[in-house]
Amino acid sequence: MQLQSPLVLLSGCVGFGEEYTRIEGFSNRDVGAVCLKGTTGQARPGNAPHRVCETPMGMINAIGLQNPGVDKVVDEILPTLDFNETRFIANVSGSTIEEYIQVTRKFDDSDIDAIEINISCPNVKEGGVAFGNDPEMSARVVEACRAVTDKPLITKLSPNQTDIAANARGCIEAGTDGFAVINTLMGMAVDIHSRTPIIGNNQGGLSGPAIKPVALLKVHQVYQVARDHDIPIIGQGGIMTAEDALEFIIAGATTVGIGTALFYDPLVCPKINEGILAYLKQHDLESVEQITGTLVLNENPTLCKGKI
Amino acid sequence: MPQSQRDTIFLEQARVLEHQSYDGDQYILRVEAPKCAARAAPGSFAHLQCSPERPLRRPLSIMRTSPTEGWVDFLYKAVGEGTKLLSEREIGETISVLGPIGKNFEFHTDRPRPLLIGGGVGIPPMVFCAEHLKRDPHWSPFVIMGSEVPFPFKTRPSQIMVPGMPDAVIAAMPLLEDWGIPSRLTSLQGYPGCHEGYVTDLARLWLDSLSEEQRAEVEILSCGPHPMLEAVANLAAEYNLPCQVSLEEFMACAVGGCAGCVVEVATEQGPAMKRVCVDGPVFDAKTVF
Repeated sequence: MQLQSPLVLLSGCVGFGEEYTRIEGFSNRDVGAVCLKGTTGQARPGNAPHRVCETPMGMINAIGLQNPGVDKVVDEILPTLDFNETRFIANVSGSTIEEYIQVTRKFDDSDIDAIEINISCPNVKEGGVAFGNDPEMSARVVEACRAVTDKPLITKLSPNQTDIAANARGCIEAGTDGFAVINTLMGMAVDIHSRTPIIGNNQGGLSGPAIKPVALLKVHQVYQVARDHDIPIIGQGGIMTAEDALEFIIAGATTVGIGTALFYDPLVCPKINEGILAYLKQHDLESVEQITGTLVLNENPTLCKGKI
Repeated sequence: MPQSQRDTIFLEQARVLEHQSYDGDQYILRVEAPKCAARAAPGSFAHLQCSPERPLRRPLSIMRTSPTEGWVDFLYKAVGEGTKLLSEREIGETISVLGPIGKNFEFHTDRPRPLLIGGGVGIPPMVFCAEHLKRDPHWSPFVIMGSEVPFPFKTRPSQIMVPGMPDAVIAAMPLLEDWGIPSRLTSLQGYPGCHEGYVTDLARLWLDSLSEEQRAEVEILSCGPHPMLEAVANLAAEYNLPCQVSLEEFMACAVGGCAGCVVEVATEQGPAMKRVCVDGPVFDAKTVF
């Protein structure tokens, strides 16, 4: 799948693709793809408020997959999107494998450009990260979705697991075409006066610059597995600037996801695009693919030379 | 979302023109944001980046605008990290302002006696409503404000008679007074000239003083703390009056993208979670209380 920019707007940040266009100067044409809000088989009301709060260098959210259900998304929302502006990627969630199949099948029979399998939502009681943190279940979900669609399948991996590379290996064998690395990290914020969690769901997913180093390492780890199979990675987690984006690309990402940065600066995407282009020009490169995974690791990183 | 809503919210690097502090950690901030000023309407809010240290924006309701001079006024209380950092911003600095945002208050011509009730940091939208209504003699608004910290203005004895008000309840907001709009103030703190009690006490006295025909011309518009809004909504239901309330909730994007700021709203299809930012912040009181 060819994209007009290496930027991808992340699921859950931009509603169903049109909301940010309320802002003058914002255009979906500035990004390669837009991931739509997580969609389930039936409508879901989501979690009780508060659903978001700011934390140092980031934020916690626990929306709880509020969405109108796949039928409404495909039949009523997709026809209103302008597919000339960018690529649109569905984000499929569910509580059971059957629900993942149902939603994927419905999107397969639509204009959607690709399907992201969300097995890493930390904010629902069933499914989501419960599948994503179990490598065997992850692979089963991917396999089930693969069986009902020929559209590009992207698996969104959870950072809340022991061995993300092993999970990625299983998903590749199950037929994924790409990865999104990473979803949010589980976190909490406490109101010291009421002595209650600030987030209605008690816990939520941490995003923003606070998680960038974690995300970078996970991209690097998944890349070690994915590169042999030519499987692309959307690197994501706290990217605010072109420099952040380039770090992810060097670590192994082909494209990069923008989420929380939009909340800080809704017009950040053209700036990141410009910064990436300037870097390519500076280094006499033609495309970001030339630097994907070009990270040169330090040799013998644990050993110092010389005597004490 | 229909494409007709594109390009209706503006991102501006707004210069701080005035920043005045008042008792009770209250501040009035005036920024130069001409696009927001030109498009804002009573009920609109803006999403401000308080400081680069805390980059997630904070929603603040708009109190006044000057479309010709291009400024926007906010009244806010420094309650958390973000608004505390905002209170440190000085004249001449710039603040990133995203606005105007939200569904506004609606004024219905068959209800020419709007009762505007603002509590605490819910006062600003009521001032915006009043300034909007003063332009047309069709409207005869009455404003009731409540606060448990000193009002962020020097109160003045009102020169405008208001039916039903006790003689001692005479303090008014000078700005509204200058516009010829009657206002009265309430507080439990015993401030001079203010009613010692709740905003709904004064509302009830005023409504009871009206004839039945006059009461049928009243619509209540309100913004303030949740318990106050609930009391106002109950009062409106008791008097069978239409009532619009402006709500607040923690927000991330403020443009409808993240569904972080929802409230439960009654709809014809049953209860639904609606976004305060773009489905509100103004809702029909019957649907949220």
